[in-house]
Parts: sequence; structure tokens; C-alpha cells
Amino acid sequence: MAAQAAAREAPNRPMVPITYYLLLAAALFCMGMFGVLVRRNALVIFMCVELMLNAANLTFVAFARMRGDDLGHVSAFFVIAVAAAEAAIGLAIVIAVFRSRGSVLVEDIRTMKH
Amino acid sequence: MNIELILFGAFALLTLLSAGTVIFARSPINSAMALVSTFFFLAGIYVLLWAHTVAVMQVLVYAGAIMVLFLFVIMLLNLGESPTRGKPTVARIAGGAATVGLFAALAIILLKIPAAPATLSTDAQASFGTIATLGQVIFTQWLLPFEAVSLLLLVAMVGAVVVAKSRI
Amino acid sequence: MTLVEFFRAAPVAPDILAPSLWLIIALPLLGALICGVFGKMMGRANVQLVACAAVAGSFVLSLLAFWASSHHNPDTGRLAAIYPNPFGIERDFVRYALAYDYGTWFSVGDFRVNFGLMVDHLSGILLLIITGVGFLIHLYSTSYMEHDAAYWRFFAYLNLFVAAMLTLVLADNLVLLFVGWEGVGMASYLLIGFWYDDPAKAWAGRKAFVTNRIGDFAFLIATFLLVLLVSAFTQQSNAADYNTAGTTVNHYTAALEKKGPVTFKGLEKLAEGLVDGNADKVDLSTPIEAGPLEGYTFGGVMTAAMLLFLLGAAGKSAQLPLYVWLPDAMAGPTPVSALIHAATMVTAGVYLFSRMSALLVLSPTAMATIAIIGALTSLLAALIAFAQDDIKKVLAYSTVSQLGIMFMGVGMGIFWAAVFHLMTHAFFKACLFLGAGSVMHGNGDETDIKKLGGLRKEMPWTWATFLVATLAITGILPLSGFFSKDAILHGVHHNHLQGLEWVSSLVYYLGLLIAASTAFYMTRVYLLTFEGPRSKEARVAHAHESAWQMTLPLVVLAVLSVVAARYAFGINFFDMTSQPVLDNFLSPVFSATKRITDASTLVALDTSRPQVVPDYLKAWAVALAGGGAAAFLYLRYFPARVGRPDPAFIRAVRPLALNKFYVDELYELIVIRPVKFMSFLLFRVVDALIIDTVAVRGTAWVTARVGSALRYVQSGDAQAYAAVMAIALLGGVAYALIQVMQ
Repeated sequence: MAAQAAAREAPNRPMVPITYYLLLAAALFCMGMFGVLVRRNALVIFMCVELMLNAANLTFVAFARMRGDDLGHVSAFFVIAVAAAEAAIGLAIVIAVFRSRGSVLVEDIRTMKH
Repeated sequence: MNIELILFGAFALLTLLSAGTVIFARSPINSAMALVSTFFFLAGIYVLLWAHTVAVMQVLVYAGAIMVLFLFVIMLLNLGESPTRGKPTVARIAGGAATVGLFAALAIILLKIPAAPATLSTDAQASFGTIATLGQVIFTQWLLPFEAVSLLLLVAMVGAVVVAKSRI
Repeated sequence: MTLVEFFRAAPVAPDILAPSLWLIIALPLLGALICGVFGKMMGRANVQLVACAAVAGSFVLSLLAFWASSHHNPDTGRLAAIYPNPFGIERDFVRYALAYDYGTWFSVGDFRVNFGLMVDHLSGILLLIITGVGFLIHLYSTSYMEHDAAYWRFFAYLNLFVAAMLTLVLADNLVLLFVGWEGVGMASYLLIGFWYDDPAKAWAGRKAFVTNRIGDFAFLIATFLLVLLVSAFTQQSNAADYNTAGTTVNHYTAALEKKGPVTFKGLEKLAEGLVDGNADKVDLSTPIEAGPLEGYTFGGVMTAAMLLFLLGAAGKSAQLPLYVWLPDAMAGPTPVSALIHAATMVTAGVYLFSRMSALLVLSPTAMATIAIIGALTSLLAALIAFAQDDIKKVLAYSTVSQLGIMFMGVGMGIFWAAVFHLMTHAFFKACLFLGAGSVMHGNGDETDIKKLGGLRKEMPWTWATFLVATLAITGILPLSGFFSKDAILHGVHHNHLQGLEWVSSLVYYLGLLIAASTAFYMTRVYLLTFEGPRSKEARVAHAHESAWQMTLPLVVLAVLSVVAARYAFGINFFDMTSQPVLDNFLSPVFSATKRITDASTLVALDTSRPQVVPDYLKAWAVALAGGGAAAFLYLRYFPARVGRPDPAFIRAVRPLALNKFYVDELYELIVIRPVKFMSFLLFRVVDALIIDTVAVRGTAWVTARVGSALRYVQSGDAQAYAAVMAIALLGGVAYALIQVMQ
């Protein structure tokens, strides 16, 4: 809040370039993707997917700040809602898979049939 | 060196550290906890971007609801540390390499794009990213998608119950 | 009251009847649909009822239409038959016709075909034959097919055939006629191969179909030629041309606009316009100026079209070189042979040429070809019939032979006699076939005449009717066959084609030879089947006479083959020089033809009638000679020589005739083998090697190889898929990067 207040009070001061935020988002996205591709545990993979979604949100919000309108915020809002739904369904699937195979490791869940 | 840059650097560093913990922690519980902290630090970043409402929702929905769901599932399935380490398969190596390459490419592109925050008038500053502005836009211009999202959440709820239940 | 006067008061007025002409076709079609779809559930009796009723209903309508086509309004005393064909109003056109146009059937660009039906005196006669004889044969079939499990299929096909044949004769344009033409071909195929579980019979059906197809192709090309001729005529003609045709340019083009170029009436107008007049711009020797036929003369194209129609008609009517399918068509049930392969379908070629006589008389070359083809076919078939022992085969070759006689008549321009012979032939040949069927039915399906014999006492009705029909076809006075054949021979002798005068004599003397041959083989069949002692090889000891459903049609047909002779006599019965009844009756149909032959010198048509001395005596002597020779050989000569070898002459000739002069073998050698060889090449090189091996199997092989290579990628490992996505994403971003760098 302090930073925000400071920024608002002194709009002409040099500010953090949006590029930094975008770089942070890219890094976050790539880390999430790395986790998705490398981790075996389906739950952790889900967490990494959340990371990726957050990276996308960060990009939206950063661009909103750059353009000076709040459309990006609306998008982020929708992304959060979709992420919630995705997490609910995904975790339900993880539970179902764990029930039938006794494992949440993706390498154990290769076949489509029992 | 201003305070904003310092705050951004701190939050960004912490975010990346937490995210790294999410990826590399051996126990899912640790990953989950690291994810919570990632979400919190990200909320800070949002605040730096004047997106207060998104920051609050980030904390409420992500760090609150979604994380509880994760933890709940971890507890329910009684998942501990995996006894074996995963084999570095071709796919994993290739995927990891691709990710690193992707980041490099993105970084180069992003650094090429000059992007500065918009300069806003005082009125615009006062209303930018507030819940009032956002609410007005969502409930007028974006009403239909908003309702669709509510339907999506309903469907997800029903779906989750159907999928997760062992017997209906 | 003469026949003409009797027909002048129709019970149903033509303007009421004309819009319902479609019912004549629709009834049997509906019958076919019902029998074909529901036949199995309805049971035998119901199927028979539906099938017979459909044809009977059609017969009644045909009768009314036929009647109405000569209707006079009693108040005005004028002809009242309606003919709303825009071509129909002309100089001296007598409207002995009933027609209705149901509007556009289809139109492509400015080519247009209407769905128009027409009953004039020619198609009226055909209608009555088709539905009348058709009904008798349906009735006959109810008994003949009583033991066949697939009765419903049989009656459905039979009704379908009748519907198609009616379409053929009712059509007022070539395209609709072609629909019927193809329809009867298909029905014929279905019925020849009716017992399809016997490969030989199924094969016979295919042979008929393929042979017909060759003719149909020629038919189509000829139709296209006529369409082009019409358009060339409208482009090049001047007012004088239309005067010759008895119309005006506006009238003609308006009618073309309304009816399309392929109506028979329109083509008649074209033919009249092509006749040489004084101020005409277009006649037969005029070259066509534009279009695909540029440079050819009208007359040349007309000759080509007529020769192509001849090929088409030869396919359907079993003439050289396409007659080979008809004898094999006897594989079908006997009623089918009687209806389709004797009485109706095979006469389609004769009908076609009669219908287009106005065009035909423009081309003496085509006419001579038709006459010679007819004569040669007729003689060849008659000679083959000498040695056939299968009763149905004899009758089949006899049919080919009689059709040849009709073609002679058509070719020499004696159209009414050809139609007359068509009619009498329908009666006596149907009677003969049905008689043969009755014989087979009563003798355990025995068809070898050597193994029959002596049926005279055991099957009296069959015997009597068969005898009458045999006498009729043989040409014994005073049965109808004598008059129809003699009318043709007389006309052939006295009509002349310009520049081809020798054809008349050639065809005439061939005709006499054919008449003698006909008498010979028919007497032979009759004697071996009905006279003499019962053969020791007979399948059943005692034949039984058939049921009334079978004998009634026989009697009716036999009576018809006697009384039809009336149509050959003059309008004034005892005046041997007056115009024959049928000639007079058909004159409105051939009015355009007559105008053309009067105006041109291409064909000289003779109108004299055959006289008792010498024409009838000559014909009778010929018939008696043939019949007497057969009687001598088969009653005296061969029975006396039992056990001894035949004389050398017979031993030499007999196998030749028995093997049908090796025509099938000749076709095998010059047509089928090369085609098969070509097919074999195509099959081996194009199909087996290029298409199968390289294209089909090659594709499959490559796909399989690629697939098994890619199988390792499809591990089921979700992360591997995700890795691929990541790499693809990297690729996309790298592309964007390159764009940014530039």
C-alpha cells in the first residue's frame, strides 16, 4: 500500500518498467512448465499448472497497467474463476485415478484402460 | 533506486524462490506450502501494478480456496515423499531443455519490446483497478461471460462430485 | 357400321381422359411397388390379385385412350381428340391423337425436356398389345408360377416391365422414350436372371444387359445428334424451310421453347423442313455451318443418327450384330419369354423406327441398311432354328427371325405392315411361347422336342392353340401371319430406295427364303411336339393339361391371331384394291412421312395391294413348300431311318446350325477375347500393379511404417505429449523471435 500511495503521489518519478513484470511472468510460466514436464506427481503437476496460470494473470495485469485500462483485470478475474473450476475437476480426477490405480504418478497412468 | 523497484525486486525474488520450491520439493506438502507463498508474493506484485482487486482475489481464491483443496487432497490420499526418484526420460530432458529455450526466447523478445506503465490522470489513478470500477465493467460489459463462468463453476462442482465419488 | 365408325364415339371424352394418361403407367408401377415391398407379407393370392388388377386397370384405361384417340364430336362431326402439342397445328394434320403435357421434366441451359404423354394410333395399338397380352400373361403366370417361392418378386418385376414398356410407347419425346427403353432393359435383365441361383441363368441376364447397353449407348449418341441437328436447323433455316414444314419460324421456335428439341412431333417438323423445296435454304445436302457438327451435311448427320438408332434398335430388338442375347434370354420363366422376348420389348426397335419414320425416310442409306440387316438376321436365325431341339430356343430364334422381317418392312418404308406384323406376331408368338410353357408345365419342365411327342391327345387345348399359332406364323391362308408377312414382302418388293434399287429385289428374295424356312422349322417343332408317338425318353408318362388360367390366354391369343387378319383387308372388304384397314388406320401417324416421301425422290413408296394371283399364291406355295418339306422329313423320312446314320448332307449341315453357326464363338474370338485381353492388361498393369500395389498397398505400407515408427511416440505418457507441446511452443516463439530480430 505504501508503494501504491507513493506511486500515486508522484506520477512522474521513474517507475519499474513493465518489461520487468513481463520477464517475471515469463520466468514463472517457464518454471511452471518445467514442473509440468519434469515432475511425476500428478498433484505437483497441477500445482505447476496453477503457476502457469498465475504467470498468465501476471501478464494480463502488467499489460493492463501498461495500457492504463482495467480490461486485463477482468481477464485475470475470469482466469482465476476458470482455474478454480479446473482445480476442482482436476483434483477429482486425481482422486478417481488414485482409487483405481493406487498411485498418482503419471508414469503409472499410461494406459487408457485398466 | 526507489522503493517501488526495491519492493518489486524483493517480491519477484521471493516469488521465483517459492516457485522453485514448488517444482523441486520432494514432498507434495512442501510444494503446496511453497505454492501458497508464491501466490502471496504474486499478490504483492499485483498491488505494485495497482491491481488491488485482483490481488485480493488472488489471496482469497488461490491462496485460500484452491490451496485448501490441494492440501485436502494430499491429506486425503495420504501422499508422502515419493520413495523413488523419477528416471530422467527422453521426454523429460527434452521438455526441460525446451522450457529453458522457451524462457531464453521469451526473454530476448520481451527485452526488445519497450514497455512503460501508462501515465494516468489523477481521476483515473483514483479509480484504476478498484473493485468499483471492475464491478461496473463486469456487470455491464462482461455480464454474459460472467454468467457463463458461474455456470462453469456449477458444472465443475457437479463434475467433481461425479468424478470423485466412488459410487453414485 | 365399320370399325372406324364404331371407334368414332368414345365412351370417355378425350379432354377428360388426356390429363389422366399418366395413370396408365402409374397403375402397374404401383402394382410393382406393392408386390415388391409388401408381396412377401401379403401372400400369394393377394400378390396375384394386385398384379393382375394393376395390368387390367391399365388395359381398361388404354382401351379408353385408344378409343378416345379416334373420337368424333357427335354434334360437330369433327375430330375431337385433343393434341395440345404446339407442333401439332399444321397444314393437313389430322388430330387422331390424345396427348397431355405435364410440364417441364428437366431443363439444362436451353435444352429442355417435357414430361409429355401421347396416344396416337400407333402407340394405341402398342398400348393394347402391352396391357392386353400383358394381362393374359399375368393371368397365365398365376398358374405357371404357382410353385415358385419368389412369386412376389416375379410379379413385381413383371409389373415393373409393363410400366416401363408403357412409358416407352406413351412418351412423346425421345428422352422419355429412353427412360422406358432402359426400364424394359432392366426389367428384362431382372426377369431373365429371375432364377439367379443358377449361374448360367444369371449369366444370361448379364449377357442381355451388356448387349443391350451397347445399343443404348448408340441410342444416346443418336439422340444428341438429333438435338444438334435441331439447333443447326433453327440457326440456318429461312422462311421457306418452315413453309415446307407447314409452319412458321415463330411458331416453330416458340414450340421448341415450350417443348424442347426432342419431341417426335418437333422432329417430324425438322424432317419436313429438310425436304428439298425450291426456295429452301436448308435441305439434306446443306452443310452445317457452326457447332460441333460443322462441315457435315444435314443428310449425312441424319444418316449417321439413323444408323446409330439402328444399332440401338438392334440391341433391343435382337438384330445382327446384337441378337445373341435373345436366345439365351430363354433362361427366364416362360411367361417372361412370351411377354418380353416375343410380344413387346423386342418390338421396341420396330416401334422406334415407326415413330421416327419421318426422319428415317430422309436417309435411303440407313433404310437399306436396316432392311438388309433385318433380312440377314432373319435368315440366319431361321437357319439356326432348323436344328435346335429346345422348344424355347426354336421359338427364340423364330422371334429373332420375325423381328428381322419387321425390320425389313421398316427398312423398306412399309411401316404399317411392319406394325401389323408386330401386332400379329405379338399374338401368335405369345401364344406359341405360352403353349410351350404349357407343354413344359405338363411334362415336368421338359424342353427337348425330341423327348416330347404325341401330346395332341393329352393336351388338347394346348395342341389346338399351338396349331393355330403355328399355322399363323407359317403363313397359311387365311390366318393373320400370312397377311402381315405378305404385306411386308409385297411392300419390300415394290418400294424403292433412290440409288439402292437392288436392295428391294435382294430383300424380297431373301424374304421368300425366310418364309419357307419359317414354315419348315415351325412345322418341325409342331410335329415333334404334338404328333407322332410319345417319346421313350419322356420325363412323365402322361402329360396333363394345364389349368384354365393357362389355357384361357392360349385360346384368346389363338383367336386373336386368326381375327387380326381382318386388318389386312381393304376398308371395303371385298375390294382387293382398297386401302387396308390398318394402313388407313395408321395413316395419321405416318402423315408427315407420306408428305416427305411425296415431296422428295428419296424413297418411292408403292400403295398397291397384293393380289391373289400371283402374290398370295406365291407366298402360299413357299409356305407349303417349307412346311411340306418338314412334314416329309419328320413324318416319313426320319422315322423310317431310325437306327441308321443320317445322310452325309445332313451330317455336314446339322452341326453348323446346331451350334448357331458359331456366332457366339465368333464373337468370343473377335470381341470378347480382345476385350478380355484388354481387361486383363488393365487389370494386371493398371489395376493390380499401379492402383493396388503402388497406390493402395503402397499408401497403406507407408502409413503402416510411419505408424509403427510413431508408435514409440505414442507411449501413453502424458508428459511426453506435453513435452511435444512444449517443443512446438518453443518453435512458435522461436519463429516470433526471428520475426522480431528482423
